[in-house]
Amino acid sequence: MWNHFCVLLKKDFRMLAAGRFFWIAAGFLALYTAYINLGYVRFMQMPPYNVYLYDPEGTQTEVSALVQPVPSLEALDAALQDDANGVGLDAGEGAVRAVLYTGAGPVDRHRADYALSLLHPAGSRPPEVVGSNTPEQKARKEIACELLFFELSAVGFLGIAAVLFQEKGMGAIRVHAILPLRKSLFLLSKLTVFLLSDLCFAALLTLFNVGLADGAAALPAILLQTAILSLLMALAGLLCALLLRDFRQFTLAYLMIAVFAATPVFLSANTSVKFGWIGWHPFYHLYMGLKNAYFGIPAGTSAYYLGAACAIGLLFAGVQLVFHREIGKEG
Amino acid sequence: MIEVQGLTFSYSRDRQALHGLDFTVEDGEIFGFLGPNGSGKSTTQKLLTGILKGYGGKATLFGQEVSSIRGPELYRKIGVLFEFPYLYANLSALDNLDYFASFYPREQRRDARELLELLECKPDFWKKPVSSYSKGMRQRVSMARALIGSPRLLFLDEPTSGLDPSGAVLFRSIIERERKKGTTVFVTTHNMLDADLLCDRVAFLSNGSLAALDAPKRLKEKNGSRQVVVEYWTQGRRESQTLDASELAAGLPFAPDDIVSIHSQEPTLEDVFIQYTGRGLT
Repeated sequence: MWNHFCVLLKKDFRMLAAGRFFWIAAGFLALYTAYINLGYVRFMQMPPYNVYLYDPEGTQTEVSALVQPVPSLEALDAALQDDANGVGLDAGEGAVRAVLYTGAGPVDRHRADYALSLLHPAGSRPPEVVGSNTPEQKARKEIACELLFFELSAVGFLGIAAVLFQEKGMGAIRVHAILPLRKSLFLLSKLTVFLLSDLCFAALLTLFNVGLADGAAALPAILLQTAILSLLMALAGLLCALLLRDFRQFTLAYLMIAVFAATPVFLSANTSVKFGWIGWHPFYHLYMGLKNAYFGIPAGTSAYYLGAACAIGLLFAGVQLVFHREIGKEG
Repeated sequence: MIEVQGLTFSYSRDRQALHGLDFTVEDGEIFGFLGPNGSGKSTTQKLLTGILKGYGGKATLFGQEVSSIRGPELYRKIGVLFEFPYLYANLSALDNLDYFASFYPREQRRDARELLELLECKPDFWKKPVSSYSKGMRQRVSMARALIGSPRLLFLDEPTSGLDPSGAVLFRSIIERERKKGTTVFVTTHNMLDADLLCDRVAFLSNGSLAALDAPKRLKEKNGSRQVVVEYWTQGRRESQTLDASELAAGLPFAPDDIVSIHSQEPTLEDVFIQYTGRGLT
């Protein structure tokens, strides 16, 4: 049995290599790493809004270096027209007045308060910071987690389905119905290949972008969450690829999953938007499990792990059932 | 080798595919299973190869009920050629054969190169991806795949489909050679020529029931008119007469100047099939 498994594993690696899957994964890894290091982290260190100050009398003496002085009211208007997110401060008539193009009510207040706070940077009381992460570490962990979740739930899911559609198209899958091997090994080898690939991807993405020391410390928990998500998504991909006739139908099904399943999860997990029903959404728990793993928070309860194990077991049983039906088909 | 009694199968409550088949296939026999599309040929083959489950009646292979044989144990003994050449298109012929061979016990595996030579596959192509092969070449590699585990029982579904005439002759000679080695062959086909030339016995299947089962020669004899048509020249004219074969024993009842031809009126296997089932094979 072990020999058969190794033969299947070798073939699946070859299929993925021939389909340039590993190159694509390496490309995504390079792209994500470049995005995090050259884009996201720098972006997160930028001031949230540009602030422009018109102060003809020079009444503001403690102004932060982030404030950009303008010589006239016309220049202030021009700056705000060019940068509609920016905030203008008009100190021309004694009391300082915030001027801005409106966005949304609560955000406008935040913009105005932020701009005014820059007039007295030394005077504002810094908040008490809890937790051990620096802002950069936090940003790196958050974005690495989001990109890994996207990679596992989208790219891996599409990848395994693409491989199976290829085998379905060639009909080679049906030959396995009459080979002296346990049919479950055919599925297990595919899951193993994708699991190993996802684990490598998760480890490299974490170490490259969270840092060696921080990344290595969190890695066991991250790999555990990666394994759960990878297996679930790979099984879902296999099930869809076996049930659906062609890749076009599959991509439509994938869009449904991406739009209706993943969007509320990201909204609930990363913003202040909270849906009452989000606790029933399995992706939410998977995402939070991964996020907690990145931040060193004990991830998940025993019910979570039991649920994940049951889901993997049920999906595997379903995939086996559909697989047996598929290999018995004609023509 | 194969024993089938009262074999029934339904895909759903109102879709019965087989209505109680009875036949046996002896060791070393080439048995033809003939029928039009939708007659139940593939269903029978799938039941016998254990791909479909849940049949009624009895179906034994190697003396064991098919449903009770463990999959790997059964598949070590049988080889199956599908109607379509199912191969990994991105792998070469040798890689495909090595891959499929690795599931059989080492002592059973045949040499992939030897099989490709036997099937007259061009050596230049052995290491090229199957996607660059013609349909006939793919069918040859598929046949090699079916033979790679030295099967004792070979199921062939339309074996000569997609082959040119010389390829079909080659396949028939290979099948005959396998039989001489003691392999039992179960051929499912539309091709009456294959059935006539290859099979020791053929079964005609129509709407899930057996319409006839016998050696092709006997089926033709039983259903023939035992007449001959004689074409001849007489007094400068070309004429023909149809005679009972028995009349020939006493010599021709006329005196021709010259005989052009004498043709027996033996029906083709297809004629016999139509007589039994009322429909053609397409």
